[in-house]
Amino acid sequence: MRGLTKSFGAVRAVTDLGFTVEPGSVTGFLGPNGAGKTTTLRMVLGLITPDSGTATFDGVPYAALPDPIRTVGAVLETAFHPARSGRNHLRVYCRAAGLPVERADEVLLQVGLADAGGRRAGSYSLGMRQRLALATALLGDPGVLVLDEPANGLDPEGIQWLRGFLRHLAHDQGRTVLVSSHLLSEVEQTVDRVVIVGAGRLVREGSMADLRAGADGAGTVLVRSPEVARLAELLRADGVPLTLDGAALTVTGRTTDEIGARAFAAGVELHELRSHTSGLEEIYFQLTAGQGQFAAPSPGTTDPEGASR
Amino acid sequence: MTRLVRAEWTKLFTTRVWIGMLAAGVLLTAGFAVLMTAFAGNADSGIAPVGTAEFEQTALAQASGATILTLILGIIGATQEYRHRTATPTFLTTPRRGSVIVAKLIAYALAAVPFAVVVVAVNYLVVAVYAGARGAAPSLTGDNLEVMTTSGLALVIYAVIGVGLGALMRNQVGAIVAALVYLFVVEGVIRSIPATSGAYKWLPGGGLEAMTATFDGPDLLGAWQGGLLLIGYGLLAALLGTLLAVRRDIV
Repeated sequence: MRGLTKSFGAVRAVTDLGFTVEPGSVTGFLGPNGAGKTTTLRMVLGLITPDSGTATFDGVPYAALPDPIRTVGAVLETAFHPARSGRNHLRVYCRAAGLPVERADEVLLQVGLADAGGRRAGSYSLGMRQRLALATALLGDPGVLVLDEPANGLDPEGIQWLRGFLRHLAHDQGRTVLVSSHLLSEVEQTVDRVVIVGAGRLVREGSMADLRAGADGAGTVLVRSPEVARLAELLRADGVPLTLDGAALTVTGRTTDEIGARAFAAGVELHELRSHTSGLEEIYFQLTAGQGQFAAPSPGTTDPEGASR
Repeated sequence: MTRLVRAEWTKLFTTRVWIGMLAAGVLLTAGFAVLMTAFAGNADSGIAPVGTAEFEQTALAQASGATILTLILGIIGATQEYRHRTATPTFLTTPRRGSVIVAKLIAYALAAVPFAVVVVAVNYLVVAVYAGARGAAPSLTGDNLEVMTTSGLALVIYAVIGVGLGALMRNQVGAIVAALVYLFVVEGVIRSIPATSGAYKWLPGGGLEAMTATFDGPDLLGAWQGGLLLIGYGLLAALLGTLLAVRRDIV
């Protein structure tokens, strides 16, 4: 994907965006709402014509692929005719792609909808719709999967299932997966690499391990101790930024390991020691802060520049 | 292309829209055929008596009234992709969007053939039974047969126009309302105002009227010219719809 740019009227949705997705891995495509994720994915799949730039699969644009749904499967939205059954919905695309109609039942089984295949898609729950959309993407048994916010509307159990399913597709079956989300925590456990966008521009691209390494200690740690004042004194002496609030201590910029070691060395009794906010979330927030389409000043801020720092 | 046409048939026959349209077409046609026959020869109605060629051709042309239903069937067929957002999976499966529209045109033209046969057959049966009871059942020969054939063809051509119009407008309700207002209001006005009535024969309604050959109408084209004119409108709408579908973004 190189130099993708798209404007809708006066709104610049995506500006000169380019990145590469590695085969056989799960890549998270992250950014706040309105950052241009959906527009980018639709340009990649030939549904939206970019103003400039190109997106290719092994060098071939989507629209020029000889057998598109056997190469790339996509979940962009849950789009069905409400009066058509899930199985018939899938059969339509089997016919259009020249696949045997039995594929419809195979993918229904794969996503756990085998019993609901005969029901009208309009009667499906949100989670079932996401599963049917995923089934549609899997029809052609493609090597590449592109998923736009697949966890939207799923309950915790559904999200758990989706994570496992994506890992299975990528790591056990060797497929390439690109999955977008506006929540890092949603894909944190699933993805190998991340591409972060904000306001239509690339903010960060790299492996999850790199992002984690950079994030180590960037979060805050919560400590409870009967000797909290003594611990605070010790940490202050080391130049550690912290806030003391009754029997609880909030430490910024250190890992739980470091705090635990310091307390142990000083013989301070600890009742609780845990990460309050993960460093990853903190980093992600810093990277994308104020870059959503609808960035609003934080509550209590009167300075209009406050949100766009 | 065969694959895509079969996919369109799967779409058409896996919802119940077609059953409703066929039932409405049969009821509408049978109803008008009954009315025509009931008031045949009645001095106030202006309908020729049972047994005359004029009555038989008028009564057997009632199937052409169901063109409004094949038109709507075609519009729904093309616009449901946008209404239910299935345009996304459809164009992902077939990125050459022109092929999808062409497949829809072929699929709906062919599906309209049995539809037309049923409606025309019901029209004939109703007239044959009722007019037969009133004295003379129409024969299946000559002009009668021609009227039935052209009525059936008009049903098929209007399905094609519907697909073209739907591809062009994309908004289902908008396209149906626009088609109804145009056919029942705009054309009626054009037809009745002397200054514009000369243009009527070149419009879709004029083409339909020419095809189904009623008597004492305004200045019209010949039946086959009318048919060609209608096909022309259908293909024009489809061509514009295809060009736009290829260029427009699917958001």
